[in-house]
Amino acid sequence: MKENVFIVHRSEIIRKGLSLILQEYFKMEITQLNSAKDLSSFAGISGSIMILILEAQADLNLRAIDQLRKNNEVCLVGFYAENSDDQVDQTFDYQLNQFASPIQIQKLIQVIRQSGNKNKNPMQDNGELTSREKEVIKLIALGLANKEIADKLFISIHTVISHRKNITEKLGIKSISGLTVYAIMNNLLDIQDINPEELI
Amino acid sequence: MELFRREDKMSSLITRNYNLLPVINRFGIRLGFKEKTIAEVCQEKNIDTDFFLAIVNTYTDESYFPEAEFLSFSPVLLIDYLKNTHRYYINYVLPKIEQLLNKVMESCPDNCSSLKMINTFYQKYKSELLLHLKLEDEKVFPYILNLYENKTLSPEGSFIEVIENEHTNVEVKLSDLENLIIRHLSPNYEDNAMNEFLTALLQFENDLNDHARIEDHILITKVIEFEKELKK
Repeated sequence: MKENVFIVHRSEIIRKGLSLILQEYFKMEITQLNSAKDLSSFAGISGSIMILILEAQADLNLRAIDQLRKNNEVCLVGFYAENSDDQVDQTFDYQLNQFASPIQIQKLIQVIRQSGNKNKNPMQDNGELTSREKEVIKLIALGLANKEIADKLFISIHTVISHRKNITEKLGIKSISGLTVYAIMNNLLDIQDINPEELI
Repeated sequence: MELFRREDKMSSLITRNYNLLPVINRFGIRLGFKEKTIAEVCQEKNIDTDFFLAIVNTYTDESYFPEAEFLSFSPVLLIDYLKNTHRYYINYVLPKIEQLLNKVMESCPDNCSSLKMINTFYQKYKSELLLHLKLEDEKVFPYILNLYENKTLSPEGSFIEVIENEHTNVEVKLSDLENLIIRHLSPNYEDNAMNEFLTALLQFENDLNDHARIEDHILITKVIEFEKELKK
């Protein structure tokens, strides 16, 4: 698959610098953008691995990113100004800060590439849901919000979000009503438990 | 696939890509072309030939997107075409798909609860899609036509931004429906009936994607630019 790398940052120094480091180690096409707004013009790209390195504190243009996700494998890297171990933002798949060494950057790209390769062979993963994921689906179908699910299962809201992401990847179902249908079809839930008018 | 040109025979359009049958109908063009070229038929029917070519080529070749050409067409022409497409979905495609789904339901021998869930989900999808089409027909299109006619911004604000989001939601449901059937439903039905239903559904998805592409990338881009100009 073709790789597309985008660096979105307001600072030209950072865009050019990061781009130079990446180009030195990897032959990849790098597009530098001043603002995530401009991502909208790339909606036509499809069938690529897209690595988006985004200034974490700026506007992300999630709409354009969702658009890209439809036809590409998208990987989001949050670019932070500070060492930011405590700022875990679930929007991003990976994090990078401006003091990272070239080796760290190189490693990050390798990790991203390997995970991309894994996704190419979905058959290796048998696609079975874990029992935890089944519990999460059940609660989604019952109409609970992420926060409520987190409280009920004594897990963090980030964990709930990551379960949801895995469920959607395994099943190919995104909408709440689609997941509800799945839950009922697989006896995770009885149809009596839900209000079909409301959820489906 | 090679793009269609004005001097190509109208009959070759259909022999090369039969998916265009409903598309030409939306322009009021019907079969029985004899040896007439695309330009000749368009002229007879009072259709802008360039606009016609832009549309059929968009449907034929996914990578073809004549943004610059499209942007020169009047939005009235585009909206007329889009409205016709909506009517075709509402009056023909959706009832047809529903008929096929009913046949699948009838073919289920026993213990059809899963299939019934699929049916319920389809109904949910359909009502959301209809609502979306209605919103465009009754609010968005009149808003745009009015915008171009009066060349002033409406005090109630713009309708444009919501549309793209809406598209995504409706698309997600359709793709969920397909995945539920293809991957998760145990096959408790007559195969031919299901194949016919699923084929119709997948074809509809393709058609919808092309349709949304024209709305999102052409019409909406055009209108947003026009709104910006008016704000100046």
